[in-house]
Amino acid sequence: MAEIPRGPEEIQALLSTLTEELLATIRSWDAVAFIGIRTGGDLIAKSLVRILEERTGKQIPMGVLDITLYRDDITRRKAYPEVKSTDIPFAVDDKDIILVDDVLYTGRSIRAAIDHIVDLGRPGRIYLLVMFDRGGRELPIQADFTGMKISLPDEQVIKLEPSADKDSIAGVIISEVKR
Amino acid sequence: MSWSHKDLISIADLSGEEITTILDMSTSFKEISRRDIKKVPTLRGKTVVLLFYEASTRTRLSFELAAKRLSADTTALSASGSSFQKGETIMDAALNVMAMAPDCIVIRYPYAGLPRKLALELPCSIINAGDGTHEHPTQALLDMYSMREHFGRLEGLHVAIVGDIAHSRVARSNVYGLKKMGARVTVVGPRTLLPPGVETWGVEVSCEFDPVVNDADVIMMLRVQRERIEEQCFPNEREYAHFFGLNKRRVDMMKPDAIIMHPGPMNRGVEITHDAADGNRSIILNQVENGVAVRMTLLYLSLGGNINVD
Repeated sequence: MAEIPRGPEEIQALLSTLTEELLATIRSWDAVAFIGIRTGGDLIAKSLVRILEERTGKQIPMGVLDITLYRDDITRRKAYPEVKSTDIPFAVDDKDIILVDDVLYTGRSIRAAIDHIVDLGRPGRIYLLVMFDRGGRELPIQADFTGMKISLPDEQVIKLEPSADKDSIAGVIISEVKR
Repeated sequence: MSWSHKDLISIADLSGEEITTILDMSTSFKEISRRDIKKVPTLRGKTVVLLFYEASTRTRLSFELAAKRLSADTTALSASGSSFQKGETIMDAALNVMAMAPDCIVIRYPYAGLPRKLALELPCSIINAGDGTHEHPTQALLDMYSMREHFGRLEGLHVAIVGDIAHSRVARSNVYGLKKMGARVTVVGPRTLLPPGVETWGVEVSCEFDPVVNDADVIMMLRVQRERIEEQCFPNEREYAHFFGLNKRRVDMMKPDAIIMHPGPMNRGVEITHDAADGNRSIILNQVENGVAVRMTLLYLSLGGNINVD
């Protein structure tokens, strides 16, 4: 398996690959909207929307999802996950939603995100796009678009590092899980 | 973020940082009430019992909606229609409720101190929805949320709390909270409706409304709590309204960007006139909307994590 990219150029290359895959698969961009999962997915969604708006010449709506209230482990955690805002400035009804997350692992966040989206309306369909797929699924969930498949030991977490203005991706951080 | 409280009994128990956390999170919860589907699955399987031994419209409905929008199950019990009338003591009633395994009891009681006692004796979370003249912490939190939403800050605001300070748990909770958040508070009322020891609260005290009305950023009007008043404290309502009511003349004296608040229920024509209550400076109904969001936050914090783990 290839080396996990760390720097902004390598991230940019992954974003380009994802862009080409999206353009090859999605024929009509009229009803497409991006929803990024906070925090990480929103950065990727923002970057992709910038590129795709240029390529397609269309305005592509984008929203941010906070899935804290939809997690299935709230009452099992010691620390309280901080609740941040969901901000979806468009109606999801009949939209082709591209749901974006940074890392696909157990699939539980995606389950929570889908539950959240269907509470907001009835999308035409939902695609899943992730930058990294590290395997280890606990639910039957797969991505439609994957930047890269990676392999990591269980005790490590991988996260995107936002740029100083929190507008783009500066790099990738791999750290040990705190036990 | 950490939250180490099993219960919410008093604003006095909270730090400024914890108050800020509650206010910050409430913005996220407020968004849920504006959706078409006003429900998230967060507290599925949790049971919230509302024990209201005193009349309530807003607070009870607000807690009930807050719990339901988080998918908790709720049951409400009021003094009339319960065994309270048959002579059962409140502690017996509470132990019986506890035997049915609620995760949270929201309690309103006509005398101070009961929520604290329940918090010490029962394993479930206790949220004080008003105990006598002691505290009404969720009201103060929603009031602070509403002020901060309007002005973008609490620090440095001048808040005048006007009326029956002596019997007001809302005033006490707000004074504790606002002082922690760096606001300046003036309590205003006739001497007979100011509590003994008010000098020790660390607030300014005035028995005249006019000198305060043009200096405050927030004018919070309180109802005269006839049900708690045993002696005559002022000659009549007309005279009270004249000296301590918020009327058109006083609204015109207010600072240009100052706002009007009232925890409800209002006695129109006594402490507040239509001009003041329904005018464009009034944020009274925003307070009610925000109440649901703030109570969702508190239920989430009280029930969302397993605080008995260690």
